[in-house]
Amino acid sequence: MAPIRDKYTIHSKAVVCQDVELKGDITIGSGSIVHPKATIFAIAGPIVIGSGCIIEEGAIIVNRRKEVMRIGDDNLFEIGCRVESPTVGDFNTVSTRARVHHTVRIGSYCVVGAGCLVVPTEDEFLDDYTVIYGPAAERRTWSGRGKVQEADLRRKHAEYLREMLPKFNRLRRGEGS
Amino acid sequence: MDPPIYYSKAEYIETDTGNKVSRRATIAGPQNIILGGKTIISSGAIIRGDLRRTGAGHAVVISLGRYCVVGEGCVMRPPYKTYRGNFNYYPMKIGDHVHIGANTVVEAATIGSHVEIGKNCVIGKFTIIKDCARVADGTIVPPNTVIPALALFAGSPGRFVEDLPESTQETVETQTKRYYTRFQPLDR
Repeated sequence: MAPIRDKYTIHSKAVVCQDVELKGDITIGSGSIVHPKATIFAIAGPIVIGSGCIIEEGAIIVNRRKEVMRIGDDNLFEIGCRVESPTVGDFNTVSTRARVHHTVRIGSYCVVGAGCLVVPTEDEFLDDYTVIYGPAAERRTWSGRGKVQEADLRRKHAEYLREMLPKFNRLRRGEGS
Repeated sequence: MDPPIYYSKAEYIETDTGNKVSRRATIAGPQNIILGGKTIISSGAIIRGDLRRTGAGHAVVISLGRYCVVGEGCVMRPPYKTYRGNFNYYPMKIGDHVHIGANTVVEAATIGSHVEIGKNCVIGKFTIIKDCARVADGTIVPPNTVIPALALFAGSPGRFVEDLPESTQETVETQTKRYYTRFQPLDR
């Protein structure tokens, strides 16, 4: 296999901390936040992250497939989660220590609860508003109540971090630096 | 009695008050973190003191008491919420003699004294843990939970299992003190 070429395209309004492990072809959209100690590995194909995403410490995002891994806007990847799904929609939450396998495609407004394992052997698509919870990774559908508030919280969170993180952390800029 | 637990002298920084902090731990915003003394922060731990409350004045983000141990790969970060339309992070307070096991994620608001938290736990946002409580290994405590004093919590989601004996305070205290004395440098 050809060696992995590093190519980072980081939007000027994105906040990516210095202490982040990036590998491969990665594009990070405007206003997205990557906390220190997060890991983004584009092993086979490139990774494209939309705007307003928050990737917390210890989160691991891996693309093992050849095609582009697309992550939508305003997603939250909490501490120590691991996501390998080839597509992720908008406004999803992957909670602390959850794991999502490369066989799952995620729609929009989904929540994967803390410590859940989503590891089906066959390809699967998580419909919009799916909530996965509990130790056995049970599922149900969210009615969408409080969606506006949730979106508002996410936006304010990102806005706060964009202001605060640069005060205490060194940032990484696009293209090789 | 117990054999000492050795660590390489080069790895840990010891402060005047006896705190031992690994160089391999990630500590963001150290000016906002208070360590009570004789506290051990193991390698790979992440402590987020940078997520401070907005507003004027000196902000303490995370305060740890005496004889605490933060295990390997632990993540400690303050909880956040919106209050009256303003987004904010809120400080995290931890008492004395608190042991936190390896790879645990803590986003609690308050943790009392003499608390033992196991390995691989997730402590949700704004959790309040009262004195002398214990959280078993691998427990997932949902956000806003209150764990009462002298209770053992386990499972996913974390539930009450049993009451702990009243001697817990003494046993935990001696245990944490012994751990600190056992934790010795090795010159090499």
